[in-house]
Amino acid sequence: MDYQKLFNSEISGESVAAWKAQGKKALGVLCCHVPVEILHALDIMPVRLRATGVTETPDGDTWMSTFSCSYARGIVQHWLDGVYKDLDGIVATDGCMMTWRAFDNAKYTDELKDAGKFHMLIGAPRVYGTYKDLGHEFYVEELKDMITALEEFTGKKLTDENLKASIAKYNEARELVQKVYELRKEKHPVISGEDCLKITLAYSDIPVEEYIELLKAFLEDAKNRAPITDKRARLMIIGSALDNPGYLKVIEDKGGLFVHDALCYGSRPFNYTMEVNDGDILGSIADYYLTRLICPRMMDNRERMQRWITDTAKEFGVDGVIYEKMQYCECWGGESMFLEPMLKEAGIPMLAVEREEHLANAGQLAIRAEAFIEMIEKED
Amino acid sequence: MPKDTRLEDAVMAGEMSVFDFCCEKVEGQMERMKEKNPDLLWTLQIQYDMWHQVRDAHANGKKLVFFGGPVPVDIIVAFDCVPVYLDTIPIRLSPNPVLTGKFIDAAERFVPPTTCGLCKTYLGTLVEDQYGVKADAFVYSTVPCDSSRVVYPNMERMMNVPTFSFDFPFRRDDRGYEYMVNQIERFVTFMEEFTGKKLDWDKMKEAMTNSNNTFELQGKCCDLRKHKPCPLPGRMLVLNGTSNAMACYPEMANLLQQELEVGQMMIELGMGPCPGGEKHRAALLQNMPWSSSGIMDWMEREYDTVAIMDAFGFQHGDIYEDLNNRHDCFKTMGKKMQNNPMIHGAAGPVENYTYLVDKIFSDYEPDVSIFLGHIGCKHTWAVAKIVTDMIQNKYGIPSLYLDIDGIDGRYKSLDEMKGQLSDYFDTVVNK
Repeated sequence: MDYQKLFNSEISGESVAAWKAQGKKALGVLCCHVPVEILHALDIMPVRLRATGVTETPDGDTWMSTFSCSYARGIVQHWLDGVYKDLDGIVATDGCMMTWRAFDNAKYTDELKDAGKFHMLIGAPRVYGTYKDLGHEFYVEELKDMITALEEFTGKKLTDENLKASIAKYNEARELVQKVYELRKEKHPVISGEDCLKITLAYSDIPVEEYIELLKAFLEDAKNRAPITDKRARLMIIGSALDNPGYLKVIEDKGGLFVHDALCYGSRPFNYTMEVNDGDILGSIADYYLTRLICPRMMDNRERMQRWITDTAKEFGVDGVIYEKMQYCECWGGESMFLEPMLKEAGIPMLAVEREEHLANAGQLAIRAEAFIEMIEKED
Repeated sequence: MPKDTRLEDAVMAGEMSVFDFCCEKVEGQMERMKEKNPDLLWTLQIQYDMWHQVRDAHANGKKLVFFGGPVPVDIIVAFDCVPVYLDTIPIRLSPNPVLTGKFIDAAERFVPPTTCGLCKTYLGTLVEDQYGVKADAFVYSTVPCDSSRVVYPNMERMMNVPTFSFDFPFRRDDRGYEYMVNQIERFVTFMEEFTGKKLDWDKMKEAMTNSNNTFELQGKCCDLRKHKPCPLPGRMLVLNGTSNAMACYPEMANLLQQELEVGQMMIELGMGPCPGGEKHRAALLQNMPWSSSGIMDWMEREYDTVAIMDAFGFQHGDIYEDLNNRHDCFKTMGKKMQNNPMIHGAAGPVENYTYLVDKIFSDYEPDVSIFLGHIGCKHTWAVAKIVTDMIQNKYGIPSLYLDIDGIDGRYKSLDEMKGQLSDYFDTVVNK
């Protein structure tokens, strides 16, 4: 099977159009605490919204002001430009305040146009460890509301059978992506960071069934891919929502090779599979979505996340960590206070860089990356 | 006569703690006011009480509970602890940009410069170890914003004291209120373990009664501002914020009672703060310009424009009803926490914000609309157009967008603000 579709990181809408041609619905998803399995089980194609490819955001700036992160403004710009015109609406959670305001603005502008789209934002707890029972119960009730609304929207009923089948599908996708990441543990991996990010971005708007087949084909062919031998330092990238593979390319062109990441468009949605208690499927979903390490919007998982980053960097033989922060992204803004000393203790230097959605400062980034790589490269 | 900057210099040199500064500063202000304007001493008394209570807590055998965001202060006080509202520090320091600059710069080693100045100041004070007192416990909430959500957990780890965090639901509905009630019960357990005492419901009732008095009086003071002309200056709105820390103390009610009496007297005299008589009533749609609250005095002098209300939502606090019904009280407490200013509008669906602003316009009848936007408050900037479009469509009033830093006065000077406001008044309001 030709798996090249995995490397097309543009938002094409082709898969959405094909899905909808079958008489089914497709909804945009913001952010990582919307259980896509529920949507899938109701025959809704979940499409994680992104800002990939946006070059200017005049309307996004007008609606969200220039004091918002350019990623969120980019999403609003795409929404207003009709990039996602085939979607039937948006389902969101209160992720970071930028994405929930992107939802508010998209909903408001849709209502002004009487677009007849579906909009729903459910609340997800931000504190889960301290009094887990309360947050769990709250989130399960929110999910039930979401299910009721989606059943009415689709005219379909959610069954345990369909839900379990969807969970199995998404778990399969997660396991396959984990295998892709395992390839990067090699001394000379067969996939660059740029290409790996393309693969994980493709998940955003390809139906999971197709995505699984593409991944299988890629993994089957992995043994035929040429190992990358000309890089000088193994890197890990962490930080704000990054949906632009070109960013990694700038750094990899300077001799770095990304072998892992802590990105919500990268490894994070795939790092863990969901364990299902047949007697409490919704509870299993709630537990999975609230405990997996995906975003610092959860306030009591920071230490765990920082330990994961440090441990993963050690496991993958990382020479240096690049901590990219979107301007106006506070969510990812405060990790260095405790993470940098942890990495330092592990002998792993960290470079912090600020960025915008549109890669306007590529030259500056390249210079800084090259200097960092020179500093950390080790002899074989 | 050169200004006496001994206290500021000592803070800058790291030789004086922030709380010592606040205490000595208000002592000096009260001395001067006793000589020049003793009738206005009441405006400073609450500050005197608050700062000294914090600084002297340990000496008085009380535990200090630092808190960020809306938390049940009434419970903290019922346990005989002294609540320390972190926001009061940047607000107090903000008139002097050099002071806030010191702590903001310290914080920016660890958090982005775009983080809210409120959060940067109290993080920076901890980084510089200049509180002068040690917290015995730390309580915070998951609102209002991403800035606080980054800073509070970091401060928790730095302080390394017993900590409780409240998770705020996104919407204000019955499910959310019950979620808050359940967390408040867990908080009571936390406080019982922390203090080694059981919650004394009589002390709880006393705190709630004081809180009710405060918010009833605050509501009456806000109602005065509906009068034309508005009897009270815009600057009085700044004092409302003190209720976040002091609502359950009788001193806060004393302040508001005085404010109410002054306001009623001004109404009887037909007077207001504008020298030429009130010509315009301005609604401020976001935060307070703490670092440059003089801008409101200037608007009154230059354009006879009084800031009649801001979008904090202090207008009408929730009142405890049946003080013997624990669940009912905790439900009200949860509502109060969710309706806490800047949470009321800012930290949930945009509909909460537009509802609040719509009510300001319908209740207070401003004819001038200014989005005097603290740049750290990005989630309000991100829906400012939705709010100001509503004002334009429903009330026919165009809004001025004026970006400021409510805490870091280095961002924009008072003169720059005056220039932008003058343009707006001269070309739009008074055209």
